[in-house]
Amino acid sequence: MSKSYDLAILGGGPGGYVAAIRASQLGFNTVLIDKDNLGGVCLNWGCIPTKSLLKNAEIFDLMKNHSADFGISIQGLSFDFSKIIKRSRDISEKITKNVELLIKKNKVTRIRGFGKLSSKNTIDIFDESGKVTDSINAEKIIIATGARPKNFPQIPVDYKKIVTSTEAMNFSTQPRDLIIIGAGAIGIEFAYFYSVLGTKVTIVEMLEQILPVEDKEISETLLKSFKKRGIEIYTSAKVEKAEVKGDEVFVSILNEGKKIELKAEKVLSAIGVMGNVEGFGLEELGIEIEKNHIKVDKQTYQTNVEGIFAIGDVIGPPWLAHVASSEGIHCVETIKGLSLQPIDYDNIPGCTYCIPQVASVGLTEQKALDAGYKLKIGKFPFMASGKAFAVGEREGFVKLIFDAKYGELLGAHIIGPEATELIAELTLAKSMEATYESIVKTIHAHPTLSESIMEAAANAYGESIHI
Amino acid sequence: MKVDIVMPKMGESIYEGTLIKWHKNIGDRVKKDEIIYEISTDKVDTEIPSPEDGVLTEIRVLEQDTVAVGTVVAIIETNGVQVESKSEELKKEVQTAKQVDNEVIEIPMPKMGESVMEGTIIKWHKKVGDKVKQDEIIFEISTDKVDTEVPSPVDGTLEEILFVENDTVAVGVTVAKISTGNISASTQTKPTSIEPAKEKKLDNSIPQTTNNKQLIANNSQLTNKFYSPLVLNIARAEGISIDELELIQGTGIGGRLTKNDLLNYIQKGRSGATTTSNVGIMKTDKVQRVEIMPMDNTRQRIMEHMIKSKDISVHVTAVTEVDVSKIHYFLEKNRDSFSKEGVKLTYLSFIAFTVVKALKEFSLMNASIDGKNILIKKYVNLGIAVAVEPNGLIVPNIKKADEKNVRGLAKSIADIGNRARTKKLVPEDTMDGTFTITNYGVFGSLFGTPIINQPEVGVLGVGAVTKKPVVIESGGLDSIAIKPMMYLSLSHDHRLVDGMLGGKFLNFVKNTLENFDISII
Repeated sequence: MSKSYDLAILGGGPGGYVAAIRASQLGFNTVLIDKDNLGGVCLNWGCIPTKSLLKNAEIFDLMKNHSADFGISIQGLSFDFSKIIKRSRDISEKITKNVELLIKKNKVTRIRGFGKLSSKNTIDIFDESGKVTDSINAEKIIIATGARPKNFPQIPVDYKKIVTSTEAMNFSTQPRDLIIIGAGAIGIEFAYFYSVLGTKVTIVEMLEQILPVEDKEISETLLKSFKKRGIEIYTSAKVEKAEVKGDEVFVSILNEGKKIELKAEKVLSAIGVMGNVEGFGLEELGIEIEKNHIKVDKQTYQTNVEGIFAIGDVIGPPWLAHVASSEGIHCVETIKGLSLQPIDYDNIPGCTYCIPQVASVGLTEQKALDAGYKLKIGKFPFMASGKAFAVGEREGFVKLIFDAKYGELLGAHIIGPEATELIAELTLAKSMEATYESIVKTIHAHPTLSESIMEAAANAYGESIHI
Repeated sequence: MKVDIVMPKMGESIYEGTLIKWHKNIGDRVKKDEIIYEISTDKVDTEIPSPEDGVLTEIRVLEQDTVAVGTVVAIIETNGVQVESKSEELKKEVQTAKQVDNEVIEIPMPKMGESVMEGTIIKWHKKVGDKVKQDEIIFEISTDKVDTEVPSPVDGTLEEILFVENDTVAVGVTVAKISTGNISASTQTKPTSIEPAKEKKLDNSIPQTTNNKQLIANNSQLTNKFYSPLVLNIARAEGISIDELELIQGTGIGGRLTKNDLLNYIQKGRSGATTTSNVGIMKTDKVQRVEIMPMDNTRQRIMEHMIKSKDISVHVTAVTEVDVSKIHYFLEKNRDSFSKEGVKLTYLSFIAFTVVKALKEFSLMNASIDGKNILIKKYVNLGIAVAVEPNGLIVPNIKKADEKNVRGLAKSIADIGNRARTKKLVPEDTMDGTFTITNYGVFGSLFGTPIINQPEVGVLGVGAVTKKPVVIESGGLDSIAIKPMMYLSLSHDHRLVDGMLGGKFLNFVKNTLENFDISII
């Protein structure tokens, strides 16, 4: 006799495990199924381990390039690459264990194994060898199986020389040179990390700017900063072929009509992700899949099959951990029958953790113009911030985009120190429908970097004090 | 699994629904899509099916209760375990709840007359939580016909206000609830779950009250609502007052009005809310040269009636001049003695008496049109237009005016005038009129072109009495004399009354007034 649950969740990433805890809080008898450690890509092979690596890079960058600015001299500065990697792996391991504890504390049943839907209410559990070990019943099922790096035929990933982000954060030795294909957040973060450690990095981006989703001005500022670091960057560049020959990978690109041949010890393919939709019995149940992602109703997250829901990366962009978590909570609350406002997909912050950091929420200047708004734009450079001066991080600026008609904050873009932390204020401002006055009239502590936000808002209306 | 059943949102501008009937009881098994209850809303009545198979374990809202959209009304256990045993107990609890409910008196929109189907709440004199005495005024309404004040039928506490000021509500619909017991308006209780407890009886009776409370809180604390800076900016830019904002239902966290709510409202021509504001808060435009003032209910009705009359009738106006010397000197002499008797004798009393006589003579003036038929009234209900300060006009009529003499008419005129000014008219006073007199002469006007009070076919305008030099003929000799003169203007509906009849009618009135038989008074 198989066990019965109110709710089964397939996949223990930031979508699935968060949904499981919320479900348990709401009184659902919940089971969470994942073959690996909990936390998904985010905690195991994404957000957290890369943030650990980037901190190493940041410290080394500061010591190597800026210690003299602070009157500190360091002789014989060096690092142990394997220890850098180990620190990242250790953090990942500990944090996923904490999630297991959290799940236990919340009385969610945890099944380690590969789950496959055999009917709309049954999930069979397989072990690594493919043997059925268990079968459970559930009234409702949430699929939160996430996504994996996308493959393209021109870039044949072999997980050794041509790799994905998973391998790139776990190399046994530091590559001498590295070509990164794709200048989204993942590509950019690895570029910063390896270039600081001394790897010769080349970035190839198909679109016309790096960090294509970000505001053009931000992207251009980052481009300059990266070029200054010695990172070679090709935008509007199409990869025609990548092949491994001996110890090297050769990459042919077409850049502004010119053929360019690049070679490096390793190539990182960071050109997007695709949903994990295969092997879970979805096709057999007739669950609608579109472009490698499960199609859902974005009010309820229900698929076309009643009682089966899907959240997170497996339902498509924006492929962000915080969005998956939010969708998980929303989905479970909807099942509970709570009356909810749908998630506002126009108010999702995005962060890139290179130096200078990049963070944004809402519309870029171009998108706001395309949407027909008349704009009031305010900018404030960290160069003019006392705090930035004091801490020696004067690169970058805050750019706020307001609708001239009603004063609505349409978009906020920050490049510079602690940008990823600073963006929270603006996300809240947006969700609370704050206007420029709200920001300007809110007292910001001095000296802080956050004053730059207040100044940028004031600047949009010609009231900035410090520029 | 416990699944909450909520009051569904039945349409864009619907924010609450009244639970009319439960089709299932606690403990009943329900199939998915089986009807569990019926609701009635502003727009539609509908049956609500179960979203799941299961057992109805909890009912939180009783029949006839009105709750906000999104309120949990019941809970279904989809596993259906260990529920049946508790159903009896829960049933009892619900019954108890009903008994408690019986102490709450519902105050409906009163029926103010045969053809009056709805009324607009103009003003609440009491707020939720206020103690009310029997016969104490709790709110004021305005209808098609009259404005009036509605007193409380009992002593008690105003528990709930279901409609805000300026809402128009159908007759018979509950607009407020008065509790005769001691249920405190501020009671807050956690919603119950199915976990049984003996002491639960009281508990179970309160959640629905609590839900209702939230509804009032929304209604009565409107001025404390939070509006985001952006919403306020948009309101300012679009010329929307705070009062108008308060009429728009928010969909944000905690019912907050969001940017999108407001933009949608504006896009829909600002009609999405319950009614347009008619509170007298004014707003000035950018250069502050134009004051924009929303019309109050009375003004809107007058506007509608005037346009309607001009649309229906073909107005023609004829004017005559009357020498009122006889009446003038009679009044001069006798006004005091009459006023000692409590009769306020005026020109209007004589004119009214004369008009009644004329209507008897020319019955086609005392008629109305019904399709291709003419309805000739065998009685005279004589309408007298009464100006009501500061900005109103109403036409009550004197019933059976043809059975009254001059004194009787004088008393009736004074009576309906007083009652119109003090809002004491009853709807019957304004219904079934057959002809109207309007006395703009009291404001000094010499003559005007009055508008017919539908469905009548004539209206007589009375101008001011002024002394004038007139030519009189006596014994074949013309001479000039000073006489008190008055213009009368008759607007008649040319569809039915032609110039000949109008002229004859007017001339009859003139001659009768000039040669008034004073002995009959």
